Amino acid sequence: MSAAISPTIVRLGARSIFSRWRGVLLFVLPAILIGLSLLVRVLVGQDEASAGVTLYRLGLVVIVPLIALLATSGLLAPEIDDGSISYLLATPTSRHTIVISKLVVAFSCVLAFGVLPMLVAGLVLRPDSPSFAVGFAIGSLVSGTTYCAVFALLSVMTRHAVVIGLIYVLIWEGLLGGLLDGVRWLSVVRWSAEIVDRIADLSLVDDLPLTYALIASGIVLVVGTWRTGWRLRAFNLTGDE
Amino acid sequence: MSEIKIDHVSRWYRNVVAVNDVSMTIGPGVTGLLGPNGAGKTTLIAMMSGFLAPSTGTVTVDGQPLWRNEQVYRTVGLVPEREATFDYLTGRQFVVACAELHGLDDPGASAQRAIAQIEMTDAQDRSISTYSKGMKQRIKMAASLVHDPAVLLLDEPFNGMDPRQRIHLMDLLREMGAEGRTVLFSSHILEEVEQVARQIEVMVAGRHAASGDFGAIRRLMTDRPNRFVLRTDNDRLLASVLLADASVRGARLRTGRGADGGIELEASDFGRFSEVLPRLAREHGVRLLEVTPTDESLESVFSYLVSS
Amino acid sequence: MSNQSEQTSPPPTAVIHDLGYRPYTGPRLGERPVAWAFFVTGLRNTYGLGRSGRSKVLPMILLGLMLLPALILVGVLVQAGKLLELDSQIVAYSSYPLTTQLLISVFVASQAPALISRDLRFGTITLYLARPMRRSVYVLVRLASLTVATFVLIGSPLVLMYLGGLLADLPFTRETERFLGGMVGALLLAACLAGLSAVVAALTVRRGLAVAAVIVVLLVSYTVVATIQGISYDADQRDVGEIAGLFSPYTLVNGVQYFLFDSPRATPTPPRSTGMGIAYVATTVLTVLGCIGVLLARFRRVRP
Repeated sequence: MSAAISPTIVRLGARSIFSRWRGVLLFVLPAILIGLSLLVRVLVGQDEASAGVTLYRLGLVVIVPLIALLATSGLLAPEIDDGSISYLLATPTSRHTIVISKLVVAFSCVLAFGVLPMLVAGLVLRPDSPSFAVGFAIGSLVSGTTYCAVFALLSVMTRHAVVIGLIYVLIWEGLLGGLLDGVRWLSVVRWSAEIVDRIADLSLVDDLPLTYALIASGIVLVVGTWRTGWRLRAFNLTGDE
Repeated sequence: MSEIKIDHVSRWYRNVVAVNDVSMTIGPGVTGLLGPNGAGKTTLIAMMSGFLAPSTGTVTVDGQPLWRNEQVYRTVGLVPEREATFDYLTGRQFVVACAELHGLDDPGASAQRAIAQIEMTDAQDRSISTYSKGMKQRIKMAASLVHDPAVLLLDEPFNGMDPRQRIHLMDLLREMGAEGRTVLFSSHILEEVEQVARQIEVMVAGRHAASGDFGAIRRLMTDRPNRFVLRTDNDRLLASVLLADASVRGARLRTGRGADGGIELEASDFGRFSEVLPRLAREHGVRLLEVTPTDESLESVFSYLVSS
Repeated sequence: MSNQSEQTSPPPTAVIHDLGYRPYTGPRLGERPVAWAFFVTGLRNTYGLGRSGRSKVLPMILLGLMLLPALILVGVLVQAGKLLELDSQIVAYSSYPLTTQLLISVFVASQAPALISRDLRFGTITLYLARPMRRSVYVLVRLASLTVATFVLIGSPLVLMYLGGLLADLPFTRETERFLGGMVGALLLAACLAGLSAVVAALTVRRGLAVAAVIVVLLVSYTVVATIQGISYDADQRDVGEIAGLFSPYTLVNGVQYFLFDSPRATPTPPRSTGMGIAYVATTVLTVLGCIGVLLARFRRVRP
């Protein structure tokens, strides 16, 4: 059992993620993003400022984190909530393998429902400047995967992972991020915005070194994944709810 | 042949003690963990299955600790109380997935073997969401048996089963105990435990109250008499005759008629009384219509154990 | 002989009162008091009153956070009003809910599932339906509790601002007019938010998902609408922005207030023409009625 990824868990995860309401939301959110992009393009043509605002405010700040939250918590939280995860844990499979396998499914969802729609939306808004779309796609890839690790850790630490994750996204990234500048050192969205700036030659966020953004995202991704596996090794199966 | 050793294990959560200094050894064969709800059975089984860490003490299987040790699941199988909600899988897919997660060489064959053992071969290709409660219980068992474990832990396995399924499960457990596996199941229903388990461990309020054969435990409580209700065709005569015997401590005539009538009897020596009663009844020409022990229920057993 | 025994002492008498089972024979209240009690309980429960301490934490924190900026604004107005030559509220009554919408959304998202999803998920709704309260009354009362609770949340800072304004000697009739307009807006907003969140909560029964779904719906709708409005304003195509404003309760109610009460606008593209204004009002009414209809239909399908 030394393989890092278990195909069984990937299969199980892929099936479970579309078996509830989450599946619907996963399709609806990118549809809203692309629909809005079409609308903006029809309204104002190819305008750099509007395009940037749309993809940043709606896409990077709201849609991508929500996709990551839905995908990740949908893979872990229901199984922990009703104890089904004990069937996965009562095997000699390494806990880290379990986490990584589930994250592979979550990453795929982020890719399919976050990154690709961002690419499409970017091309819709500014077809003459592909670096714009590519920049946002890569930025959302970085922030989406980092968010997956954060939300995975939240899911195994608390039953209220979804609510806390939402509050983090709304209040820390959304509200405070808009008001206070110092938030950028600790904000996943702003790290990925820096990456977008470099590739697409925009200035969504000021005074944030690229190396810091990359390293910080990487650290959160790795540490979050590892800690989640660590917590699963010490998982408590409670009796009744 | 595997052995579970529980050594001075306690588990508390803030100021509630769920398991209080319990020591026991579970060997091969079928052992029943008996106790009222809230006695700590589920907590103890969670610790035995590696899903809860004891606050003090150790729980080991063949010397290996269970906490934070995934490899021990090669020899331990767990059937938890709560239902799995892998609703989107069929029974076969679920068991095959568990077999793959155990790293078995031929997951399909092992899964088929396990499913055949619990007799769900006909229903294995239906979605789990269409299963009845008893079927879900059985498919959980298949998932826990698929890797042929030496130790099998079942938490309230008979919950929600109808009588036929219950008999089938009892046969299955007895069979596995006879194969030399170490089987432990918890229950609060006396008849289930009595019929299957050779050894029972009784837990009351977190404490390990008794272990051994149930009848033997019962007979150990000799300072408490056995109570019976007898319905005969001549209550007064039989009551007066029985009172003359040394094994009977007291007799009381009930005032009702028919089913409400009869004799309430206290016998202090069960062995002697069970021999004396039919003999005396026949000698005096009294016909016994009904002999019911009134305290062979779990409640009275537990209340004896708690108050002692 | 009998005279003798009667004269000595009457024999002691005793009677055994065989009470048996005593059924309740008093007056039974009808549907209306039941519904009222249910309404009051629901209202109190949204703020955690009558429940455990932990359920008070979030609503009370949100209430406090809603009042805090109003307190600060009032403080500034009263103390420094003359100095800064302020002759009206710093933040208008109709704009305040828009600014604090995050808090309102979180409140509605956390309390709607508590009121609506819980009974559906755990089947306790059968306890309510087995009482002399009709199913439709149950639904309406639950919705009313949620609406009034949200109204309290949105309206209490406005009350604070009004009192502060009076303290700061702002003109009475004008302030009262504006305040009343703001309160009407608060009521409409509460009704829309309560209706929408109740519908989402009744359709997604698991609590964690219900909370998330409500926040997603409110947040995404507002972000989309705000983006469209900003862009359409800059591109001088305001009609698009006005139509977009119909799709988020916050912008919708703000538009209604702009149209009916001449409140200062808080969105880039409020309704300018009478037709659009009437459309805003109609949409508000339709939203509330539509949500009630969906809820009634949903609860008709409940099987105990």
